Amino acid sequence: MTRTTKIILSTVAGVVVLGLIAWFFVLPRFQPHVFHGRVIQSNQTAPSLELQSADGTVRLSDFEGEVVVLYFGYTFCPDVCPITLAKLDRAMEIIGDDAEDVNVIMVSVDPQRDTPEMLKEYVEHFNPDFIGVTGDPETIDRVATMYGVYYEAEEGTEATGYLVNHTATVMVIDRDGYLKLVLPFEGTAEEVASDIEYFLG
Amino acid sequence: MSTRRLVWWIGIPGALLVLGVMAFAIFEPIQVLPRIRLAPGYHLTDQSGASITSEDARGKITLYSFRYGNCGDDCDSIDATVGEVRDRVGEVDLGDTDFQIVTISFDPERDTPAALTAEAASLGADGDQWRLATGDPSHLENVVRAGFKVWYEERDDGSFAFDPTLVLVDGWGVIRGEYEYQTLDTDADKIIRHLDILGEEIRNASGAASLAYEAAHFFLCYP
Repeated sequence: MTRTTKIILSTVAGVVVLGLIAWFFVLPRFQPHVFHGRVIQSNQTAPSLELQSADGTVRLSDFEGEVVVLYFGYTFCPDVCPITLAKLDRAMEIIGDDAEDVNVIMVSVDPQRDTPEMLKEYVEHFNPDFIGVTGDPETIDRVATMYGVYYEAEEGTEATGYLVNHTATVMVIDRDGYLKLVLPFEGTAEEVASDIEYFLG
Repeated sequence: MSTRRLVWWIGIPGALLVLGVMAFAIFEPIQVLPRIRLAPGYHLTDQSGASITSEDARGKITLYSFRYGNCGDDCDSIDATVGEVRDRVGEVDLGDTDFQIVTISFDPERDTPAALTAEAASLGADGDQWRLATGDPSHLENVVRAGFKVWYEERDDGSFAFDPTLVLVDGWGVIRGEYEYQTLDTDADKIIRHLDILGEEIRNASGAASLAYEAAHFFLCYP
């Protein structure tokens, strides 16, 4: 083997090794995260929130430095809310230990019937760390409106009482208090978990 | 320096520069509208007495305007702008996405469904693409004043002082444009131009191009 051939061969081998390292270890780091909902880059922090849980007043500012997952629902909710809360519980399980820094809060859109105690019992049935909050109807109307949530009572059957139609999106607020992501009702626990993990960093 | 070296030193950077300029011309920089914040959720009543909610607007592009019943001259120019946008929206390719206009009255006391019907007729609002709406006063305060951030206040004579504003909301319920009353001749042009940018984003909402559009939001190439 001549010297030139050696140089050429070792150069080729070097390039191949570097290429493989780049392909498998470096490039994946530059892959953008694909979100499963709508990302918002607002320069305004999320609307403030001060509502009552069975364990006292809950403010958004209580969770500074942590991620907040906000959902609007009610305890008499027949289908959409249980599906969503079960999905969020599964997402917390996937996230694992880091879920300590995630606060899942359900805001009642049925302040007439839901008491803080009922909400506590309801959300803890899905996950003992979930928080349920409510407030007087005027405050709830303001909070829901500000978070883009529509809700309206509608007649149900005698067995269910009235039902409340409501927007079923899940909202993610980052560690700095910015509302960053709106997730649709559709979508799996795995997708929700991977998006929340992105904000946990 | 030999001629050959000179060719390398000048030729390569020169070629790169030319390629760069060509790439810039071919892949025009993507323009996107900012995702300002969530538009408020609401449930109101339209001119026919039917329910109209923020969920009806999901999946559609909505232009919101605000007025009160007897606002006369105060509203003439803004109504004209909205009318012009309605007339010219056909120039814009929004893909499969519908465009609608919702004009919210913050004067429910006088703007009964009958009064709204009369106003709709004079505005040329068809009740389908362009609807007029109003509702409960305290809910309206949350929606218009707090949510859309459009200030209004009743004067002693029953008329209203308010900031004429138009708000553009996308199908995800995110505010993409806020237009405070300036010179309304250019406002319609601006809104049409912004609808065009929004249409481009919608048409590129899937596949590889969507990554470029999502990335553009992080680099804030806002018009």
